[in-house]
Amino acid sequence: MKERVTNPDSLDPISIAILQNALRSIADEAYLALMKSAYSTNIKERHDHSIIVMDAKGRIVAQAERALPGHVGAALGVLEAIYERYDESEILPGDIFITNDPYKGGTTHLPDVNIVKPYFVDGRFLGLICTLAHHADIGGAAPGSMSSHLTNLYQEGIRIPAMKLMREGELDKDVFDLILANIRIPIERRGDYFAQIAACNLGERRMQELAQSYSAGVLEAAYEEIISRTAVRIEAALRRIPDGVYRFEDVMDDDGFGAVNIPLKLEVRVKNGYPTFDFTGCAPQVTGNINCTFNATKRVVAYVLKALLDPDIPTNQGMFDCFDVIAEDSTIVNSTFPAAVANRSQTSQRVADMVIGALAPALPDRATGCSHGTTVLAGFSGPYSKNPDGYVYFEVVAGGGGARATKDGKHGVMVHVTNTSNLPVEVIEMEYPLFVESYALVENSGGLGKFCGGRGIRRIVRPLEEPCYFEGNGERFKNQPWGVFGGGPGKSGRFYLRHDDGRTEELPGKVAGLAIGKNQSIVIEAPGGGGYGPFSERSHDGLERDVRAGNYTETYLEIAVPDRFGPASREE
Amino acid sequence: MFVVGCDVGGTFTDFCAIDMDTGAEIVFKVPSTPDDPARAIVDGLDRMLASHGVSADQVARLEHGTTVATNTLIQRKGATVVLITTEGFADLLEIGRQIRPHNYDLQQDAPTPLVPAELRFELAERVLATGEPHKVPTAEDIDRIVARCLDAGADACAVCFLFSFLNPRHEEAVGEALARRRPDLPVSLSSEVLPEFREFERLTTTVLNAYLQPALGSYLSHLKQQMDARYPGVVIGINQSSGGLMSVERARNYPIRTALSGPAAGVAGAIQVAKTSGEPNVITLDMGGTSADVCLIREFAFDVGLDHNVSGFPIRLPVVGINTVGAGGGSIAWMEADGLLKVGPISAGSVPGPACYGSGGTEPTVTDANLLLGRLSEGGLLAGEMPLDRAASEAVFERLSRQIGMQSFDIAQGVLEIVVSNMVQAIRSISTERGHDPRECVLMAFGGAGPLHGVEVARALGIDRVLVPAAPGILCAKGLVVADLTEEFSRTVRVRPETDGMDAVWRYLGELVEAGSAWFATEEIPENERVARAVLEVRYIGQNYEVPIEVADYSKGPPEKHLSVDELRELFMREHDRRYGFFNAEDPVEVVNVRLRVRGRLKRIDAAPSAPQAEEGAGEPITHRDVQFKRGAWVKTPIYDRASLAAGTRIAGPAVLQQMDTTIVVYPGDKASVQGNGNLLIEIGAI
Repeated sequence: MKERVTNPDSLDPISIAILQNALRSIADEAYLALMKSAYSTNIKERHDHSIIVMDAKGRIVAQAERALPGHVGAALGVLEAIYERYDESEILPGDIFITNDPYKGGTTHLPDVNIVKPYFVDGRFLGLICTLAHHADIGGAAPGSMSSHLTNLYQEGIRIPAMKLMREGELDKDVFDLILANIRIPIERRGDYFAQIAACNLGERRMQELAQSYSAGVLEAAYEEIISRTAVRIEAALRRIPDGVYRFEDVMDDDGFGAVNIPLKLEVRVKNGYPTFDFTGCAPQVTGNINCTFNATKRVVAYVLKALLDPDIPTNQGMFDCFDVIAEDSTIVNSTFPAAVANRSQTSQRVADMVIGALAPALPDRATGCSHGTTVLAGFSGPYSKNPDGYVYFEVVAGGGGARATKDGKHGVMVHVTNTSNLPVEVIEMEYPLFVESYALVENSGGLGKFCGGRGIRRIVRPLEEPCYFEGNGERFKNQPWGVFGGGPGKSGRFYLRHDDGRTEELPGKVAGLAIGKNQSIVIEAPGGGGYGPFSERSHDGLERDVRAGNYTETYLEIAVPDRFGPASREE
Repeated sequence: MFVVGCDVGGTFTDFCAIDMDTGAEIVFKVPSTPDDPARAIVDGLDRMLASHGVSADQVARLEHGTTVATNTLIQRKGATVVLITTEGFADLLEIGRQIRPHNYDLQQDAPTPLVPAELRFELAERVLATGEPHKVPTAEDIDRIVARCLDAGADACAVCFLFSFLNPRHEEAVGEALARRRPDLPVSLSSEVLPEFREFERLTTTVLNAYLQPALGSYLSHLKQQMDARYPGVVIGINQSSGGLMSVERARNYPIRTALSGPAAGVAGAIQVAKTSGEPNVITLDMGGTSADVCLIREFAFDVGLDHNVSGFPIRLPVVGINTVGAGGGSIAWMEADGLLKVGPISAGSVPGPACYGSGGTEPTVTDANLLLGRLSEGGLLAGEMPLDRAASEAVFERLSRQIGMQSFDIAQGVLEIVVSNMVQAIRSISTERGHDPRECVLMAFGGAGPLHGVEVARALGIDRVLVPAAPGILCAKGLVVADLTEEFSRTVRVRPETDGMDAVWRYLGELVEAGSAWFATEEIPENERVARAVLEVRYIGQNYEVPIEVADYSKGPPEKHLSVDELRELFMREHDRRYGFFNAEDPVEVVNVRLRVRGRLKRIDAAPSAPQAEEGAGEPITHRDVQFKRGAWVKTPIYDRASLAAGTRIAGPAVLQQMDTTIVVYPGDKASVQGNGNLLIEIGAI
């Protein structure tokens, strides 16, 4: 083995690059281990989890590359939460902390459980390994803890302040049993907690191995370099945005409790390459559970900056220190306790749309038409003859991607804060009393444009046993995804019920616990993406492909754009 | 009788022939003929045999590694495929798993589906999760859809229905109807290509297979014709991605199995070399111009993985567990926006190649760094056929030096450190991350650039020995010669042993064993050369990824005593603990897939470890030059011609050994010795 590096002054652009890779590999390895050994669908199939390496100041040094963008900067604030309850001298080797508190502890809704292990080098506390994962249930009033009818944090599940789950290597059975007693299907969930603890231990072990090659002082110096170099990199990218003021307004459909057409406002002020994202004027927080905490809003802004300016920039603290966010207290983008937040991703997606919309004039080559702008959540639950515990199955159905400056939007794809896989139809039908009748793209759903938006997905599901309860949470069911630079809007999404006698019944965008029978099926349609540029500029090739591929029906185009082919093309 | 291995690469077609009676080995190389790869094969064979006085009737088998499928895919030059799916699911190919390939890149998409929407047809049919038919397709519907497929001008047809892995009847009915109308149309049924659950992976694997069927089919027919004309009676074996061979007939039906076969033969060759040196546990490092392949060999065997990505498409098939990282001689060094030095993944390739090749390369590469530091000779590669231009390397590094603000030589040393750390990471992910300690292995370095970096890679991993094969350039051909005929049968069963017992598992396995016996018979494998091993893929109920557990040897019929539920649980917990660092002792498990790996041993070449203790002696250096082994320290280093070093030669580092197709760097403190079989063993000293 090589000699241990102990002199911080020896760090250079080579050794820092090597160390940065090593740190990211630690996060990536633990990320995969957690994914493969977890029980929760959200983790094993949807990859709704993340691994973060922090320094002793609670700053992010490295994050698993494949973690969902919604997890960017996840866990920020967890060390402060630990310090609120413990003195630094009480943080000991072998300890493992747990928290899920969105208002105090760095998560953004209760099902995201953060399990954190401190690591020590040369006898010093040098940082934390954070494992954050979306559990299939965290207790509260509804199975899955995500139901649309939850109206405050108490209903959304058990709230765990930052506390020790393990003390110097020993599991605190009292704490653990208290948590398990408050969640559904505790046997399966227990496996998830163990998988997370194992991932923590793995990360910590790898840090120890790394510390055989580098002293604590060298690691600390490298952390500073990694963070400051990323800051310099993002600041350089930010200078592509011309100084000025950029504004955007959007409207959310509803919260399921009477608040409809909820207004959102954003003003971006850029001065000397430093942007301030001012959300003043956004609606007050709502009764339904689509509120975003300030932390969640800030992370979405960081995600969009990375996506628009420099997709390969490493995720660390440097990304978060180069812009400012202003949002009034107790608004939908900066909610205060105990506002309900389980479905905060609806508002997160809207914040992403708004930042892109606002910056589009400044970055026309990089901006896109509005994506489908929501996470269409569809859940099914009920008793099951093959499982005495019953079943709970949640799925997010993807819509269309926004069109881009040089190409159409992608059909049926996850956007922005989320990028979670579907569950195979064969897995759904083997594990739950459900029958999937169709899984297809919605025709005519992409916004027309020089480049068209992508098409949304339609999934049709029928229960095989009764009763079956349907949960739905969707956005942009009324306020369509907009196009940019003259592009048309994508088609709205919708939920509806189809009876075997042929009748259909439109459902609202937020559905809680609707009982459906075996003679009915639920149709879930996710919105399409918005177009880019005017449709009149679309190439003839593109138009012919559209019709051939079934993206648009002839009838639709005849009505939407009667003169689409123009006299010249008819002769061809 | 001779068995010939023939590996067709982009530049050379390599041969390795072994006389099964005497063990004598012939090695031969001719330029490839990319317009018609068969020409180089047949002509090369003629020339090789003629030059060694071997007659055509002394050749028993030709084992062939082909890149036709791989290239067809990369160039997107496959067939026009029509796809038939269950009604309501024609868009599945487009939707995939509904994820985007890059979390943050708004411009990057999954690859465009190989079958466009207008060639995807739906049939009114459905099978339930129990395997029972829910809607049986009518003969009229089948005829109508077959007519549409044929009208669409398809070259091949893929059929993938939901739950066909439980009940293939509907797919088979369509296949039969197609065969009646167009017997020559290649058809891929998902229940034959991959009878396992998870419809999207089964679908893409099936579509890719159909996409490749016409191209590989016509290539194989042509090759067989050419061979039959000159070598009647020679049996041809085709290399699979799993490392085994298959018959031409099977290759025609399952071309997708060859798509990742390139590196597999190299690993098989490495095992052969490992046997001659008596090293059961090896990590291979095959570093070429654009990338490095690494693989873990335990007890002379490699792991086989199932989930892979081919040109951006997910597939599920047995593939040798190779990890590829974008670290090769041509990998370009550059400064990232944050001022840090990066190497790769972009490569200058062979055209224009590194700056020192003098063919228009303008970017600093790993090869340029090696030249600057004296590790490569200005005299050039390929025994001087390819001179290297040191001034060109200096110029491109000078530019990087100004950008980063460090000395050129220091940056060159840094480039090597980074490329080594990238390879170390790739090795860790197939060893440490899977619970295997690399320090228990010897590192086998080959490929043009592997032996340049092997010693440093080993040192970083705590490995104390590096082995460089005598002929590192023909490992693939060598691997082909020794390969066996293999096949794999699998089935998704989902049995819960604690409640269902193990009987169901053994029953399903019994069906696979029958299929295996039929295969042994078709392939005419003698009884005593049959190997059949059963693997169960097990997980905790509720998990998503299975852990493979080898449970029984069916080579000589069913085992006398089957595993009990408790024994299976025990094996599973142990493996789960090794992989993930924990297990849940009380949780119930399920058996998801049963799998039978069968192998027909074709030849027995017993590579007894040859005595490495030839007479000790020191080699004569051909020259000396200054070489930098660590930053800032130049060492006058003896340079050897490897070909001149007799068995038993011992050389103390520092030293550089040059040979036709590679260069070996031995560090100060390390000791190299030439083994009796010509392999070079480097013992890593402490620094």
